Amino acid sequence: MDYVISILPQMLQGTMDTLRLFFITIVLSIPLGIVLAFARVSGFGWLRKIVAAYVYVLRGTPLMLQLLFVYFGLPFLPYIGMRLDDFPAAVLAFVLNYAAYFCEIFRAGIQAIPKGQYEAAKTLGMNYLQTMRRIILPQVIKIILPPISNETITLVKDTSLIYILAMNDLLRTTRNLVQRDFNIMPFLVAGVFYLIMTLILTAGFNRLEKHYAKWD
Amino acid sequence: MKKIVAKNIKKSFDDLEVLKGIDLEVGEGEVVAIIGPSGGGKSTLLRCLNKLETIDGGRIVIEGETLAETTPDGEVQYSPDASRIACKMGMVFQQFNLFPHMTVLQNLMEAPVRVQHRPAGDVRREALALLRKVGLEDKQDQYPRRLSGGQQQRVAIARALCNKPDIMLFDEPTSSLDPELTGEVLKTMRNLAEDHMTMVVVTHEMGFAREVATRVLFMCDGVVQEQGTPEEVFGHPKNERLRSFLQSILK
Repeated sequence: MDYVISILPQMLQGTMDTLRLFFITIVLSIPLGIVLAFARVSGFGWLRKIVAAYVYVLRGTPLMLQLLFVYFGLPFLPYIGMRLDDFPAAVLAFVLNYAAYFCEIFRAGIQAIPKGQYEAAKTLGMNYLQTMRRIILPQVIKIILPPISNETITLVKDTSLIYILAMNDLLRTTRNLVQRDFNIMPFLVAGVFYLIMTLILTAGFNRLEKHYAKWD
Repeated sequence: MKKIVAKNIKKSFDDLEVLKGIDLEVGEGEVVAIIGPSGGGKSTLLRCLNKLETIDGGRIVIEGETLAETTPDGEVQYSPDASRIACKMGMVFQQFNLFPHMTVLQNLMEAPVRVQHRPAGDVRREALALLRKVGLEDKQDQYPRRLSGGQQQRVAIARALCNKPDIMLFDEPTSSLDPELTGEVLKTMRNLAEDHMTMVVVTHEMGFAREVATRVLFMCDGVVQEQGTPEEVFGHPKNERLRSFLQSILK
């Protein structure tokens, strides 16, 4: 027990890095995913194709590969090539990757809304923005909450991939402790930490789903 | 002034010509019932009037304002003001299309407050009066999915009226209702007709067309085959298609 308490400060420090990446990724990738989703269902064929290709590439290759590419490969790209620090590189890779997944979730949600909802809004004089904001999106959110919840929980665990960039997130901190002390206790503590984060998210999404269930 | 003047309306979906040059005039306070077999173009005509479908040819004038017309070079041109003109017509759909995430009262108040920018207090009073009129004042805080089909459709009528339209379009308003629920909706529409609302009703309810309509149009194969008073259309049908249609319905 004393040992666990002694490693807690370091593990909490690692958790902070994990949470920082998690929140920044969520805050940036969800809006980007919404924008991509609207492009994906827009009237412009070329735009739909570009976004479809983007989604295909980002979902079709490992996040780990994308992470390595942004960090090590980006500096070698002609013209746009630049060297990013490890944390910005991680954020960029995670946001680009998760936006692709969120795009598909939002697209499915938008397409699940019956045509009659748009028509009713139109006959009442609502314009495109009013229709989307007041009529369509609230209904989309209800539909997509379960898949978003899934994706978000996956993200908590995916953050551990930044281990490869030698950043001291929860997982890497844990491994360092295990190697330093020849004690596997930190693994168990890390598992509990991840479970607590997942538990909080699950509870939050359950409340949201309950809130949106009131009009069923 | 005529409320609706539609001349030579043409509409095709891909290769299928659904409207082959329809003329329709509706005067103030008239209740026009459009009857006919499914696929005859009735709903499409209605949806062309308020721009849910765009026309391929012809001319639509609403209360003296041109919504769309064919230019000399054969192109159909819509007024830059088309949305405002189309909103003079309230619409009631077969599937109700209430907003499921809003309460009954919110459904009624949304457009008047957000689109027409009328004061919320006034709109609320008017919305409650309309709900009383359709017999649903006790349902104002319910969500639509908790209501029966007939109640939902009456809310939909009240929602359309809350926008203060000059004309009401009904697209088979009772077709997705259980038989015992159609009565309450038809009664609401009858009251509306007695208040001299101008109405165009696509319907399969021959009883309603006969008793409430001032004029009946029989549409089939994209053409108005016959029109007249209910007495003329139902009592002395001249058109062969109309006769066989009426016979098949009476069976």
